[in-house]
Amino acid sequence: MRKWCTLLLIAAMALFGAACNGTGGGGKIADDNSLEQIKQRGKLVAGVKYDTHLFGYKDPADGQVKGFEIDLMKELAKRMLGDESKLELKEVNSKTRIKLLNGGDIDLICATMTISEKRKKEVDFSRVYFMAGQSLLVPNNSPIKTVHDTKGKKVATAKGATSGNNLKSVEPGAQIQLYENYADAFTALRAGQVDALTTDDSILMGMQQQDPNFKLVGGQFTKEPYGIGLKKGANELRAYVDQFLDQIIADGTYAKLYMKWFKQAPPQDLPRQAVQASPGK
Amino acid sequence: MDFSFLTRADIMKTLLDGLLVTLEVALFSILFSFICGIVLGTLRYTKIPVLSHLAALYIETVRNLPLLLIIFFGFFAFKEWGWELPITISVIISMTIFTSALVGEIVRGGLNSVDKGQIEAARASGLTYVQTLWHIVLPQALRRMIPPMVSQFVSLLKDTSLAVAISLPELMHNAQIVYSRYYNMTVPLLIFVSLVYFVINYSLSQASRQLEKKLAG
Repeated sequence: MRKWCTLLLIAAMALFGAACNGTGGGGKIADDNSLEQIKQRGKLVAGVKYDTHLFGYKDPADGQVKGFEIDLMKELAKRMLGDESKLELKEVNSKTRIKLLNGGDIDLICATMTISEKRKKEVDFSRVYFMAGQSLLVPNNSPIKTVHDTKGKKVATAKGATSGNNLKSVEPGAQIQLYENYADAFTALRAGQVDALTTDDSILMGMQQQDPNFKLVGGQFTKEPYGIGLKKGANELRAYVDQFLDQIIADGTYAKLYMKWFKQAPPQDLPRQAVQASPGK
Repeated sequence: MDFSFLTRADIMKTLLDGLLVTLEVALFSILFSFICGIVLGTLRYTKIPVLSHLAALYIETVRNLPLLLIIFFGFFAFKEWGWELPITISVIISMTIFTSALVGEIVRGGLNSVDKGQIEAARASGLTYVQTLWHIVLPQALRRMIPPMVSQFVSLLKDTSLAVAISLPELMHNAQIVYSRYYNMTVPLLIFVSLVYFVINYSLSQASRQLEKKLAG
């Protein structure tokens, strides 16, 4: 009986494996004619975040998805297909986005995805469209002005993120306090339990806009360049997206959107190519 | 503690939308896994060659896998096989795959708990095997299955929140969307959402207790 079961189990697994390999990876959307297919379909499907303030978030007030990345995608749809209503948004998170791209569910990923050497093996990236970097959030009247002022001070960050180690390697004297998530860390900062909060400035800016009693200081001490993720080998589409980004940067659309969401002018030195860089590694 | 969202129609609407998805997924999964579970459990109990072995194999395999894995599996694998399913359907299938195995075990346990003497007596009075199963064993077994079955369905309802991982827009997911926008509401929202889960599940358990009493009397 037991032998029987084991045999059956192995057979089932073998069958299952075969099924997975058989039809898997069939690229429905992005191949060499990646751009043509979108134009023929008359619809651009973008994978975006629904829970990241300022970049891609669903506004409870009207149920609409909004943010800097959403506006970028709308502009892309407008220039590619002539109408921003030809954009379809699909919610992705960091666990699902690459799989959905490679499975053909979405044409591209615009979801605060940092260009890293590791991810470059799985997807192609467009040029950099946003340069995030780790920074510090402090109360407006705080004596902390640079990273080195955190020496001997309590600095909050979220568990699981690399932010704590990054700060330690720049300023070993900082006392890192770990919280479950950024919301908790921010609550601690507002309650005065810590002197500063550290993580990517893209997240800090969202907090700062909710509570203007805080400000960003210390500049960026890591580099987290965000790029649009495309299916490997979708060269035609990638060339189009690169050209689109260059174009909106040149004609001022990018600066307008940047100002709309981040309430400041975009950096003048946004590089075309960059990869994740942190002092902790 | 900022509980001001309780008076904000937009936020309450977002949460309600989530709750409806949670209830929809839970309801269909409960229905399907109840049916599949009864079939699986009965098959395993009957000792019909091959069929009962297959049921046993299925139950033993699935109940030893984590639910989150099955949810991811349902989300990605069906796509790779070319079935374009809406996300709610894929979660309902995953929850059914998982819960029917557990319900199958509950059913088998219930059937086993019926005194063998009764079966022999029924067979001796001329009932066929199927008639015995249908008229004698199942009615008694079903009554004993209610409490474990309901507790299984309560955990099913709670576990729909695992589908946050694939962005199913259910209650927990929508709460996250709200507190990612309003950081200061994180803890109050979590407290509120736990209350909602509690009220639903507690009512479910209470209803099952009433049902048990009715059937016993």
